[in-house]
Amino acid sequence: MASTQDILEFLSGILSKNAEEKSLNWLSQKTEKIQSSGSPTAFFLAFSQASRFFSKEKLQLDEADKNKADELVSGYEPEFWNVLQTARTYLLLSYPQEKETWFSAVNQLFETADMHEHQALFAALPLMPFQEDLVDRAIDGCRTNVALIFDAIALNNPYPAKYFPEANWNQMVLKAVFMQRPLYRIQSQDSRSNPALAEIARDFAHERWAAGRNVMPELWRLVSPFLNEKYLEDLQKVMSSKDDLELAGGALALFNGSSGTGKTLLSEFPTLASQIESGEITWEKVGKEYQDTRV
Amino acid sequence: MSMYIDPHIHLVSRTTDDYEAMQKAGIVATIEPAFWLGQPRTEVGSFKDYFSTLVGWERFRASQFGIVHYCTMGLNSKEANNIALAEQVMELLPLYVGKEGVVAIGEIGYDDQTEAEDRFYREQLELAKEVDLPVLIHTPHRDKKKGTYRSMDVAEEHGMNPGWIIVDHNNEETVKEVLDRGYWAGFTIYPHTKMGSERMVEIVKQYGPERIIVNSAADWGISDPLAVPKTADLMRKMGIPEEHVQMVTYRNALTAFSLSGQMDENDWLQAPPIDQTKKMSGNSVLRGGQVPRVEGPADRVEN
Repeated sequence: MASTQDILEFLSGILSKNAEEKSLNWLSQKTEKIQSSGSPTAFFLAFSQASRFFSKEKLQLDEADKNKADELVSGYEPEFWNVLQTARTYLLLSYPQEKETWFSAVNQLFETADMHEHQALFAALPLMPFQEDLVDRAIDGCRTNVALIFDAIALNNPYPAKYFPEANWNQMVLKAVFMQRPLYRIQSQDSRSNPALAEIARDFAHERWAAGRNVMPELWRLVSPFLNEKYLEDLQKVMSSKDDLELAGGALALFNGSSGTGKTLLSEFPTLASQIESGEITWEKVGKEYQDTRV
Repeated sequence: MSMYIDPHIHLVSRTTDDYEAMQKAGIVATIEPAFWLGQPRTEVGSFKDYFSTLVGWERFRASQFGIVHYCTMGLNSKEANNIALAEQVMELLPLYVGKEGVVAIGEIGYDDQTEAEDRFYREQLELAKEVDLPVLIHTPHRDKKKGTYRSMDVAEEHGMNPGWIIVDHNNEETVKEVLDRGYWAGFTIYPHTKMGSERMVEIVKQYGPERIIVNSAADWGISDPLAVPKTADLMRKMGIPEEHVQMVTYRNALTAFSLSGQMDENDWLQAPPIDQTKKMSGNSVLRGGQVPRVEGPADRVEN
């Protein structure tokens, strides 16, 4: 991971392209004050009041910015950030990084944050110093009922995949299913797949079916690496659906799984199979369409 | 349909049925003043979590029903009397007053008009000046007239601009002085005590609509979260011009509290959905003929 100084330079560069000069001047004044003052008060006030100077518009970035972000911190995707949270992250990283005082200030921030401050804090975890000591904080954050906050941790964020123990990872993914969040935006999903999660996902699908409700098609991605008789029985049911998206999800799970029986089942759907081969159907596309049309 | 603002309502105490009814009745925005909880708190952490709820969970909860939620931050006069605790709350307030959607310092003022109440009222007037926020004054239930006048005297002693202060819970006895001195005058419509809708109609008839603001102050006691739209309906029935009705149930509150720079009509007129799982996705991406699969918040919110 790059140094805080490098990250600050990067953030400052993208902010200068996304905010007005008046706001940037305010930010540099506050940054100076934060660094020179001995107490965290200036930091707390600036962190809150940043909302008066920066918008919640999505950042406008070019390809070079996106590549640079990933180079600095692997998995960092600022294209999903807004201007305000970028400014808040800039303030946060400007606060002196002496471990004890840093934690006392940052704990205070987490404990008193409003929704958008929480969003900024959790999304910035992979950029923070001492991040390995923030795992409990991140796990606790997943207990939120506010989708905006949950998304800041779970989606487009490399932190959970890097640090969450398996049980917590599984709880996060299942909660994303439960809240109907777009699973394709959870990073490193395939590399962190595990049989326990597949089992939990299956139970969840059965609960939904028992209640006469549909199952989010992306759920079958969790099952796909572990196809056995049980899962194939479920997928058989999915493949009898009348819903295009459910069929696409089922077909992707069969296509990516390593079961011969699964491949035989898929061969009954030659059009879907060729659409998957040509990249016309992907988990991302299925997830996107599901979000656009069903949630 | 008419739009209303309820600029004083304690939503943490209200049910989702209330939220639904409020939204249906035309309430687009609410202001939740920090107050006490019906019994005194004994730990500063209780204040911290309460303040966090006002800017966090309650705001989110309101948004799920299509209502924009703002709040005021302050140490109420009742709990100012626990001096050791009050001092800690005063240290906590700077963490919250600068937050988004905090539209005033309040509700502050007097309850029993004790020395401690006076001290923390003054300290918070200074805080309001420091952070450029309007002030919402709670006037006492007992010895009301004197308490109301004293609140204004002290505010003026601290160099406050009356145009930045909303003096709340007025009645026939206090309204003239409050308006004459240039303050905004809030009126709380309670089913049994304080003001009833009929009395409110008479006051607007007598004093006109300038700087008068109607609210429900609905909380955990007997109170009506629809008091603002109901009073507006009664005013119309009693022949008060529509423009005046709009002023006292919408426009004046907006004008007064937007002095904070934290409240803007576009917040509800052009509300962007906070996220796609919001329940109120009335203008969703669904095309004609499709059946929306929108499910209630209970599907996604763990109780």
